[in-house]
Amino acid sequence: MGKKRFWLSCLTMVLLLSMLSACSGSKESGQEKNKDQSSGDSKEKVTFTYFNAATGRDKNTNETRIGKIFEDQTGVNFKMEHLVGDENTKVGTFIASNNYPDVIVPGGSIDKLLGAGAFIPLNDLIDKYGPNIKRVYEPYYNLMKAEDGNIYFLPLSAVVGDYISAPDIEQGAFWIQRRVLKEAGYPKIKTFDEYLNLIRDYVKKHADENLTGYLALTTQDKFFSFTNAPMHLAGYPNDGGVIIDMKTHVANDYADDDYTKRYLQELNKLNAEGLFDKSSFVDNYDQYLAKVASGKVLGFFDYKWQVGQSMANLREAARKSGNDDLEYLALPIVYDANIKDQYLDPPSFVNNRGVGISVSAKDPVRIIKFFDNLLTDENQILSNWGIKGETYMVDDKGRFYRTAEQVAETSSESFRETFGFKYFEYSWPRYGSGSSLPDGNSVGASRQPEVAQMSYSEGDKKLLEAYGAKSFSGLFSDPDDRPWYPAWSIQIEQGSPAQIFTQKKGDLQRKYFPKMVLAAPSEFEGLWQEYVKEFNKLDVKGYEDLITKEVAKKIAIVQGKK
Amino acid sequence: MKQKVLVFMSIPFLIWLFIFKYLPLWGWTIAFQDFKPAQSLLKQEWVGLKHFKFLFQDEHFLQVMRNTLAMSFINLVLGFVTAITLAILLNELRKVMFKRTVQTISYLPHFISWVVAASIISNALATDGGIVNELLMWLGIIKEPILWLGEGKYFWGILGLSEVWKNVGWNTIIYLAAMTSIDPAQYEAAEIDGANRFQRIRNITLPGLKPVIIILLIMNIGNLLESGFEPQYLLGNGMNVDYSENLDIFVLKYGIQMGNFSLSIAAGMFKTVVSFILLFSANHIAKRLGEDRLF
Repeated sequence: MGKKRFWLSCLTMVLLLSMLSACSGSKESGQEKNKDQSSGDSKEKVTFTYFNAATGRDKNTNETRIGKIFEDQTGVNFKMEHLVGDENTKVGTFIASNNYPDVIVPGGSIDKLLGAGAFIPLNDLIDKYGPNIKRVYEPYYNLMKAEDGNIYFLPLSAVVGDYISAPDIEQGAFWIQRRVLKEAGYPKIKTFDEYLNLIRDYVKKHADENLTGYLALTTQDKFFSFTNAPMHLAGYPNDGGVIIDMKTHVANDYADDDYTKRYLQELNKLNAEGLFDKSSFVDNYDQYLAKVASGKVLGFFDYKWQVGQSMANLREAARKSGNDDLEYLALPIVYDANIKDQYLDPPSFVNNRGVGISVSAKDPVRIIKFFDNLLTDENQILSNWGIKGETYMVDDKGRFYRTAEQVAETSSESFRETFGFKYFEYSWPRYGSGSSLPDGNSVGASRQPEVAQMSYSEGDKKLLEAYGAKSFSGLFSDPDDRPWYPAWSIQIEQGSPAQIFTQKKGDLQRKYFPKMVLAAPSEFEGLWQEYVKEFNKLDVKGYEDLITKEVAKKIAIVQGKK
Repeated sequence: MKQKVLVFMSIPFLIWLFIFKYLPLWGWTIAFQDFKPAQSLLKQEWVGLKHFKFLFQDEHFLQVMRNTLAMSFINLVLGFVTAITLAILLNELRKVMFKRTVQTISYLPHFISWVVAASIISNALATDGGIVNELLMWLGIIKEPILWLGEGKYFWGILGLSEVWKNVGWNTIIYLAAMTSIDPAQYEAAEIDGANRFQRIRNITLPGLKPVIIILLIMNIGNLLESGFEPQYLLGNGMNVDYSENLDIFVLKYGIQMGNFSLSIAAGMFKTVVSFILLFSANHIAKRLGEDRLF
């Protein structure tokens, strides 16, 4: 009896210990492994893991044409995993287990990874193994360094060579359906009033068609699409929740300014006239996309990358039917005729997104060499343009272009996946958007004027001719120089008063903005006063001061470098 | 020592329980710290009751608690009444095919995820072509389509009905199972004594179900602070936030999304303590009334 009990308790202990050690054992092994294994120039085949916090299809890089070529050059293959579900949850799991993929491209959760010490410092590795990385990123080193002076990740926006602006609108704008402009005889419009009146006139003439005059996107984390519009109308680019004075560089939260009030009041009027879609405030993202794609909506404000899916559908339908009336045109609408529009992003360096190597990485040297190899001119051409003669051509002056067939082929989603454009254009160390090659060609194919021209339809050309522009972004003013841009990329500490302020502000606006827009026009003023009172109870001053300070810091870094 | 073998067999489960249910309680200390991930619990900074203070002093907290309790209560009552009613109705059916069909149809929505269910609900409630508004207009009950999700006062009702639609079939299963254990001889005897259907339901079926109902009620009362998370999060928006935001959403916003895990733990502790009190009181009351109870 006594013997039995003894054995049993032994067994229990063993079980307990093995479970405990299984929980805690993995911590150290990762860091130790990478010390003794700094392989030199070996081209031996190796596979690393790569996590990208964007949705996409999981694949090995060597299963794509481009990735295969990179594997032949370096022997390195990546097993790519993409995000399913919520980014913060996924990253939280990584942190909790202290077991990371070798390479991580996080989105907004990068702070959490940095806070948890998930990335290894890259400074020494770049010095030793990364001549190309140094060439591309060195001008931005000061913006990339963490407080301890280390570089933990490579941002994706380092511009190389002369800056080439995008021919198409990639950011925010007031969109209007082409049939509205067509019927009005392609008028040149600039102010918000003109824009709304155009919509009013069209709906009046087509009263029986069940049209929606104006739509807004407000769902969950996309609420900024709604609150950002007044900032653009006032003539500022997307700095997030604040506008920065051009001369004094002081940050101002415009949520209680006349800019915001005027926007809400105009929408309130529209609503009273039955031209505003009330469901804007309850629809989810899918319902919103479906409404835009239906072609019943005449106008709305949004960022291209949020509504691009619906626009692509409309474009495809227009291509098939040869009638582009339901497609949208982006316009730089402002409040008053004397305001200069600033919808286009100034050349900027986003320093809170990027790609880093984790502490679990088995062989950081091979990875950094792979990164370095990506950043040669030849490989950037390969990632963006593809293979000469197959996905692009070169004319006798050395200009890159694509034939109509190549444009069609390279814009097909399935081709982009198998060829690898979808994976390598972005999300790896790269020449930032707007970069150019020494010979003047654009690095990004879509920014090459020849390619943009080739992709315009007959309708596009007619429209551009009517407005006397060469490209769609030609309708917009050139961006002014803003060394701090974008202010939204300023990192706000987790759980700090400033972060709690932004959360509370969001809650307040979500509650009051719909009320104000949907109220009877006579009640608007009262609601606005109530909102401003509530708003001023929050710590606006503290938040503005913080942003002002950070903006000054960023300007100092950027200009100190020049 | 007759039960020796049984005792030994239960040991692995006790170990399991200890490791997975008791050891993690150590993590409650996080609620009293400013927790930073990836550092040992012992190296954290201690802040006392700071997070509890934040929680209870926030002006929204009372509203959030009201919403949580109200929605929970609605779900509890509606859930019980509809499930028991449906179970009794199904039990009275004699055509097996029809009974099976009704049962299958009614529990299918249980297997749809809330993400899909919320999409269905918000499409059904849409102002342009949503089936609810179309139907009500066709019946002449309303003249203009109503923005159902845009009015806070409708939210609890919508949520309650959605929960019923989604879970009623599933919840009936346990009652139907309990009914099979009622002795058919009782029904036969009642029939011979001349009892009609309703009398049989009242005097045989319902008393037969009573133990199950009471046990489930006690267990559910313990969960009163769990009013669900997904439907409120997915159907909630700025216009109904005064009625839709519950404790879990509040914790998500100010705790997890801000990386403030300590606040989340503090809220979790609060919930556990309240649940504990509620469960024990309900159990105690059941005991006092001489009814079946959980323990």
